[in-house]
Amino acid sequence: MKPAAPAPAAPTPSAPPPTKKPATPLPPKSAPPATPAREAGDKTASSAAKTPGPAPAPLDLKELKQELKDTKAIGIFSKITLKNQMDDLLGRMRKYHQGQPNPPLTDLRRSYELLVMKLLSLVQDDDKKLASDIAASREAIWALLADPKKFATLDVS
Amino acid sequence: MNKLTGRWAQSLIVAMLLAVPASAQDEETLKKDLTSVIALHGKPCGQVVGVKVLADNDYAASCEDGNKYHVYLNAEGRVMVDAQK
Repeated sequence: MKPAAPAPAAPTPSAPPPTKKPATPLPPKSAPPATPAREAGDKTASSAAKTPGPAPAPLDLKELKQELKDTKAIGIFSKITLKNQMDDLLGRMRKYHQGQPNPPLTDLRRSYELLVMKLLSLVQDDDKKLASDIAASREAIWALLADPKKFATLDVS
Repeated sequence: MNKLTGRWAQSLIVAMLLAVPASAQDEETLKKDLTSVIALHGKPCGQVVGVKVLADNDYAASCEDGNKYHVYLNAEGRVMVDAQK
């Protein structure tokens, strides 16, 4: 009488996008195929089917900043150098958002990626947690930098 | 009295034994840091094999490939790496 097939146990890996949950950061490996249904109460399966990629990276800039300050994997001079280079990039991003088209966004993105690579290469051996946090936040940070409105609200002191 | 002197001497030796590796470790840490800094500036070096402290936050670094650099923090808070002959 009731031919309606019951929905499967929803092993969909991706989480709903707008929920802001500063959960534990995911490891950078983009390979984990499917996490077992941890939060199985999700009924938005139809929208989830469209986004089969890994869950959006969590981003907690303050925590990341603090981790960078505290890590012993990077020497003090290297930290200052990285900060100098980050400040330079932020300056160029600011000019870009103010209308200066000269370093195009693709170049700025390349500079950003290079900086992240430098950072990762410095921490990946001695501070694996920080390395995975950086890798997991990489896209989210770029999204902040590239969006003029979000960039304007950034506290980059 | 003799026992007391002996203990003092023992403590002194232990302290010295601990102090030497600590400073050696500090130097290794500094070399590693300067190696990273030079690499971050995109300059050739390989590993820093020698460091001379010129002042606070001011070093002369010798690299394994023969390059020498003056690495210092300038007044604006930027780490500078200048090649030296």
